[in-house]
Amino acid sequence: MKKGQKLVYTEKKFSFWLAAAAAMHVVVLFLVLYFQIWDSGRHIKPKIVSVSLVSLPGSGGAAMQAGSPGIASPAPVVNKADEEPKPETLPPVVQKKAPVETPKQVAVEPPKKIPAEPVKPKIVEKPQNINTALERLKQNVDKKTAAMPQPSTGVLNKALASLQQKVQSAGKQAGTGNGGSGGLSSSGGRGGGGYGYGGGGNADPYKAQIASIIQQNWAFSKQLLKNSYGMNVYVRINIISDGTIRQIVFDKRAPSEYLNNSVKKALEKSSPLPFPPKGEALRDIWIGFVFTPEGIE
Amino acid sequence: MLDSRLGIFGLLSDAGPVVLMVLSVLLAFSVISWAIIAYKFGYVRKSSRESKAFMDYFFQVYNVDKAFSESENYRNGSLPRVFRSGYIEYRALGDKSDIRQAKAKIARAIKREVNAENKRLSVLVPFLATVGNTAPFIGLFGTVWGIMNSFHNIGLTQSASLAAVAPGISEALVATAAGLAAAIPAVIGYNYFTQQIGSIERDLEEFSPEFVAAFINEP
Repeated sequence: MKKGQKLVYTEKKFSFWLAAAAAMHVVVLFLVLYFQIWDSGRHIKPKIVSVSLVSLPGSGGAAMQAGSPGIASPAPVVNKADEEPKPETLPPVVQKKAPVETPKQVAVEPPKKIPAEPVKPKIVEKPQNINTALERLKQNVDKKTAAMPQPSTGVLNKALASLQQKVQSAGKQAGTGNGGSGGLSSSGGRGGGGYGYGGGGNADPYKAQIASIIQQNWAFSKQLLKNSYGMNVYVRINIISDGTIRQIVFDKRAPSEYLNNSVKKALEKSSPLPFPPKGEALRDIWIGFVFTPEGIE
Repeated sequence: MLDSRLGIFGLLSDAGPVVLMVLSVLLAFSVISWAIIAYKFGYVRKSSRESKAFMDYFFQVYNVDKAFSESENYRNGSLPRVFRSGYIEYRALGDKSDIRQAKAKIARAIKREVNAENKRLSVLVPFLATVGNTAPFIGLFGTVWGIMNSFHNIGLTQSASLAAVAPGISEALVATAAGLAAAIPAVIGYNYFTQQIGSIERDLEEFSPEFVAAFINEP
């Protein structure tokens, strides 16, 4: 009898705890609900930006510095084929830059030193495959030049004479002029120094002048580069009639973003450049430079 | 007004019957587990505390009559209960001249009470072990079922976008979360009670011969 009473007491006690546990669960569920209502009212939904991974370029993105203040969001792709005049006789280095049919990424950024006309210099990236093709062509040309016999003095004289004749006849018109051979270059650099589609080589006094300006504005220290191997930046700029740099095209970027950035900043800082020569004043001109840790070629 | 699409409750409203059933089972498990934990916690704690207090008194007086009268104050303690059963057996002995037989009888009565006490202490505790072991699997079953249904629906809608996949998986994962929520306290409680009950059982095993000796050597 006593045992039975004890059992009933135990069961009652357990039933009490069972009810208490059920009540506790109900309370917890209500607390969760309350917390969710409170939390949903507290949070502001962040702006969602949808990025389609399919539309992103495969290898071009890495070269761009994300945090760079000067680089704006990628602009629509433009075809550069219309903008680039085709030279009549291009030296091998110029031919490397010829394949421009592939679309290029253009990053539009505001000019820093354009007082009157708000012309924005564009930064154009060549796709990676162009760079690889460029390297391959370069190697081929190097091989060929090594294998080819040196031109005779007569041939050189003939070429020199024809160039002089061209210069005299065309005055200072150098829009479609090639880069000039190393012999003509005032800086004594290699022939590739004049790579590009206009403006001529380093022999061009206008180009030499703007190269000097850019060099002055170029804040770069070679000491900061761990390795100078392959540190070349091939850039061409589009200069409009008032000397403003309208577009900056990076045909080849260096592995170091520091070098790339310094080049970009130097070009932005240099804009506007002096007025182009009279013959060039009516139309845009393209001038190419090769930036190396040693200087501008 | 409550938003029906809000958080967990929004997910539950979209869940299938199997997932809901799994969640109901887990909720029941959780409620029972907590009830057992609360009930056993008080029981074991009281038993342990009263056993200790009685032991202190017993070794202090070392007199079975006084100890028996004191044991009435420790009704919930395991050791006082065992002592009382031995004392009752001792007093029930008619002929105390045969010490060997009397000792055997008292020892048997004490052993019986120790076993009963062990059972009393460990009752309902295995349920905690069962919940701790099975609740995650039950939750996992609900999740697998939910994901299975979710993929089936994706196949029917012919859309594999994140918007189509994520809600179903999210609903399904609620079951696993519920399973873990039920299992974790149960496992913690089970381990605690196993340790406490083991300690009381060791005391019972250790002091039972002491009680027998106290009854026999009683002047």
